[in-house]
Amino acid sequence: MTVIDILTRVDAICQKYDKYDVDKLNGANVAGDDPFARLYASVDADINQCVEKAETAKQEKNRAAVVALNAEIRRTKAKLLEEDLPKLQRLAVKKVKGLTREEIATRSDLVAALPDRIQSIPDGSSTATKKNGIWGASGSRTGGAIKFDSTADGNFDDEYFKGTEESNQFRGEYEMRRMKQDEGLDVIGEGLETLKNMASDMNEELDRQVPLMDEMDDKVDRANADLKNTNVRLKETILQLRSSRNFCIDIILLCVILGIAAYLYNVLKK
Amino acid sequence: MASSSDPDKLMSKADKLTKLSFTRWNADWKSATSLYEQAAIAYRFRKDNEKAKDAFEKASKGQEMISSPWDAAKHMESAAALAKELGRWNEVSDFYHRASELYRECGRPQPASDALAKGASALEEKSPDEAIKMYDEACSVLEEDGKEQMAFDLYRAAAALYIKMEKYSDAASFFLRLGSAADKCNAINSQCKAYLSAIIIYLYAHDFQQAQKCYNDCSEVQAFLNSDQNRCATKLLSAYEESDAEEIKRIAQSSAFNHLDHVVIRLARKLPTGDLQAIKKADDGEESLDEDDLT
Repeated sequence: MTVIDILTRVDAICQKYDKYDVDKLNGANVAGDDPFARLYASVDADINQCVEKAETAKQEKNRAAVVALNAEIRRTKAKLLEEDLPKLQRLAVKKVKGLTREEIATRSDLVAALPDRIQSIPDGSSTATKKNGIWGASGSRTGGAIKFDSTADGNFDDEYFKGTEESNQFRGEYEMRRMKQDEGLDVIGEGLETLKNMASDMNEELDRQVPLMDEMDDKVDRANADLKNTNVRLKETILQLRSSRNFCIDIILLCVILGIAAYLYNVLKK
Repeated sequence: MASSSDPDKLMSKADKLTKLSFTRWNADWKSATSLYEQAAIAYRFRKDNEKAKDAFEKASKGQEMISSPWDAAKHMESAAALAKELGRWNEVSDFYHRASELYRECGRPQPASDALAKGASALEEKSPDEAIKMYDEACSVLEEDGKEQMAFDLYRAAAALYIKMEKYSDAASFFLRLGSAADKCNAINSQCKAYLSAIIIYLYAHDFQQAQKCYNDCSEVQAFLNSDQNRCATKLLSAYEESDAEEIKRIAQSSAFNHLDHVVIRLARKLPTGDLQAIKKADDGEESLDEDDLT
């Protein structure tokens, strides 16, 4: 039984017994008719996911993966802020049947609390802002209000250009790889030279053999012509020999000889 | 043909046929030759080399008498091969020479040179001078006929023999001959390899001036100028001028050298020989003279 089979079977069984799944029913019921509750639940789920991703990003060593995660978090945050939040605010104010006024008020509070939660998700750019904050606090006379470009500030101190351990390692790896490539190319080059040498030797050998073949061609043609001549002459000779008179004489003589042989045979048998 | 199995009887019969005597005024070479041939084959089968060799000689003589030089030459060659097994080196040389002459009589220079080449390779160990002469003859036979392409191997073999005898300038001259033969047949690769080998041999023999001269001569040949071998030669000579032993060794290991004759490769690996400083001093001496002349 393959994995696919198992999966399909499990899915079929789950579908059959879904009606007995109390939690799911409750969950569905809770958010079933109410669009606000549904949207709020999904926004909540998204925010939790982002927080988890942020956690993994903090622990991740691979820079590229970190950057990817941060980008995803930022994308989700932007989406939540731009699309879902206004919708939620609109839905929060709408009157839904079966809800008390207090509940509506709570909803508005919840919605108001959401932006802060979303903003607080760390996505890699917050460190820069923090740094700016520190800078602003320590050095600037203009107060922390003016925000500089976070990437290209004047922190081009000595540390910036000095190779970190990682970049040194990277450079070393690059040099090693280049050396290996050079070695490989050398091997290929030598092989090609051998091939070239062999090919030119073959070329010369063939050039050597061309006149020999021509000679052989001539000689064989001559021999062929000679054979043809000989065959024709032989044919003529045989035809002469096999003229009818000679043939009859041959037959008569043959009969005579057979007769003599039979006579001798009879004599000897007796 | 009842007596055909006993070669001695055949031989005596044939001898009787050829010996002129009172009763016999003309020798019957035709039948004698066929008897000699049979006897020779029978002896060879019995591995009686001495008698087989004699029988082949006589058969060859017979063939000459009935004017078929081709068969005569063939028998001579067999006789020579047997002589080689017996170790009669002067006979080997004589037989092969005779065979080659007979081939040339037939108007077939190629088998002639083949016969000489076989003789030369047989004699390489025992009398290299004789072998060299035979190689030389073989090459000239082919050159006369305009078939130098077949001669490449002969040139190479002769040069290898010279190198073994440590006669380096002769070896280099053979390579140059190879180069000119290759030029005629438009065999560029062999030509360039030949020139490079000649330069290496001169360098190995500590003859730097000769090597330079050789290089200059070869550079006039357009085909050589554009080739890989030329580049190698330039590098090698410049390394020599700078007396840079490491560089010379490195160049000698490079791939262009691996396609030359193996005797030449062995020489190249042993470069640099001798005193590089001496070569440099000779060069400097010349330069100072030139400066004096100018002023």
